[in-house]
Amino acid sequence: MKKIFSLLAIAGLTLLIGCGKPSENSGGSSAGASSSGGGKKVTIALMPKSKGNAYFISCKKGADKAAAELGVELLFDGPTDPDPAKQNEIVENWITIGVDAIAVACENREGISTALRKAKSKGIKVVTYDADAQPDAREFFVNQATPEGIGFTLMDEAARLCGNEGEFAIITASLTAANMIEWQKHIEARRSSKYPNMKMIALRPCDDLKDKAQSEATALMSANPNLKCIMAICSPAVPGAAEAVKQAGKTGKVKVLGLGLPNENKRYVHEGVTDSVILWNTEDLGYLTIHSANALAKGTLKAGDKSIKAGALGEFQVEGDSILLGKPFIFNKDNIDKFDF
Amino acid sequence: MNTEKHGFKAALFRHETVLLFVVVLEWFYFNSVGPRFGSVDNSFDIMRHSVEIGLLALAMTPIILTGGIDLSVGSLLGLCAILFGKFWRDVGMPIPLAAACTIGVGALAGGLNASLITWLRLPPLIVTLGTFSLFRGLAEAITRGVDTFTNFPASFLFLGQERWLGIPAQAPAFIVVAIGIWLLVHRTTFGRSFRAIGFAPEGTRYAGIPVERRLALVYVLAGMIAAIAAVIYTARLGQAKADAGMGYELFAITAVVLGGTSIFGGVGTVQGTLLGVAAIAILNNGLVHARQPREVAGMLTGVLLILALASSILPKILATWRARRQTSLNKTPVTT
Repeated sequence: MKKIFSLLAIAGLTLLIGCGKPSENSGGSSAGASSSGGGKKVTIALMPKSKGNAYFISCKKGADKAAAELGVELLFDGPTDPDPAKQNEIVENWITIGVDAIAVACENREGISTALRKAKSKGIKVVTYDADAQPDAREFFVNQATPEGIGFTLMDEAARLCGNEGEFAIITASLTAANMIEWQKHIEARRSSKYPNMKMIALRPCDDLKDKAQSEATALMSANPNLKCIMAICSPAVPGAAEAVKQAGKTGKVKVLGLGLPNENKRYVHEGVTDSVILWNTEDLGYLTIHSANALAKGTLKAGDKSIKAGALGEFQVEGDSILLGKPFIFNKDNIDKFDF
Repeated sequence: MNTEKHGFKAALFRHETVLLFVVVLEWFYFNSVGPRFGSVDNSFDIMRHSVEIGLLALAMTPIILTGGIDLSVGSLLGLCAILFGKFWRDVGMPIPLAAACTIGVGALAGGLNASLITWLRLPPLIVTLGTFSLFRGLAEAITRGVDTFTNFPASFLFLGQERWLGIPAQAPAFIVVAIGIWLLVHRTTFGRSFRAIGFAPEGTRYAGIPVERRLALVYVLAGMIAAIAAVIYTARLGQAKADAGMGYELFAITAVVLGGTSIFGGVGTVQGTLLGVAAIAILNNGLVHARQPREVAGMLTGVLLILALASSILPKILATWRARRQTSLNKTPVTT
């Protein structure tokens, strides 16, 4: 019994020593924070869909650069487990901390909107990037790519590779996916207006599977000996088509390009099988997101503005409540090794 | 015998005291590094974020007391959330009726666990591992993984997001369940029988206690509480999707074990569980205020669990060690 009491006493003592000093501090600092809230430096909180995802780590690189240039404090946090409530909890914590602006890539459109609306009602500026929330839950969406931008860039690049004439085929994820249909519409519009000598001979679905894309590409090549180019517009199809071309020994004869991630395609790009991988520059996306959030918090960006200045990257167009990152980025032999996602 | 009982009681008392110290320590520490941590708003955030896991931990306490376990509560939360959404949106039920039906489904699901455990005499770990997959699978099948229920009326979202009488609107439900479970475990013969089952199920059966019926009760209760948690979760997020509550069963078990309930059954208290929930919730919230990355929370929860368990085992080890020395000291005069 004696021992228990002495243990308790020790524990109590540690407790007193442990928090005697800090609790004084807390009184002082909380008073300081409330009185000097206006003149403090801007705090921006940035959330990825999930924390370990290399895509978002690349975004953060750009965000860090922007934060350093602007002298803002950047908080970066996001879910580490598949719990859909986590994004909401983090946003609610940020509301309580009292950040100036929040930038979120939304995992659950409806769910996160609840928390973002609450942030907005507390006077915190909210932007979304990469994946949007419900429009009333945020001020601006930093849009990484418009369907028109994607479609036009794909077609321009395919025409460049083929020398503006010849047959090409498209491998898509499914014939019903809304975003893919939208892209195809713009690809066709660009083709008919600028490249009338390019001929689209086939459109094949691959169900978002790499091996199915590979067998589709093989079939396309044997059925169409004049095929000059395969355009893969879903990410697993790009390495799938490249593998098919490589195995058929048609490297260089049948060009491969598509919408995909650099890491999946690096090998084929270096082997000369795939010529161009098209996506957006994720570092620029992070950079522009922080600049937009900062401009909102400072009041220099308002609803109705037509453009925004983002440091070293210059001016960006604003369309309604979308801030446009602009033309997609083309990864090729020369630059693909600089990106890791 | 008498002293042993006394020592045992003291050890129990001690575990909760240690945990209370940990909670207070956490509070003061985070208050010193995060200026807004101690605010009323933040305290309510902590409460709001821990209600669902807290409910599951409360449901889990009597189960673990009987020496059982329920791994299916997180999946059941997901299934109940989307069924609640379906009752409301597709069947067209008013919210209160949809909630009542959801709780009914929870009871049925708990009943499935209970009947497999009591009739087929399968180990709870195996049964609930099965229903863990089954319930989540059903939720995914019903929505095909993509259907999301949203646009709930504001009067319902109030339950998850607003304040009622100055406290988070979901707090009263939690308090009622907590008091109910506390009364059941600590103030009724049921509670005593749970512990007895945890210590010695066969012995309890010979003592004339309907072991099967008591076991069924705790699993059905867990199903119903998981359903209540599902409704509150939906109100808090404003959405019901098949991935709701993923991994919550492990958080709940962690809180219960941290609270001093023996995973082998027979020993444990409801107030310990509540302290366990508080310790984890404060840690998770406080780290954000301390501007520490979220992954640290998982690590520290692990350290906390190991330290708390070690500290409650330590006095027992010391006691046996002292007892052994005492007996050897007692022996010496006899031999000389």
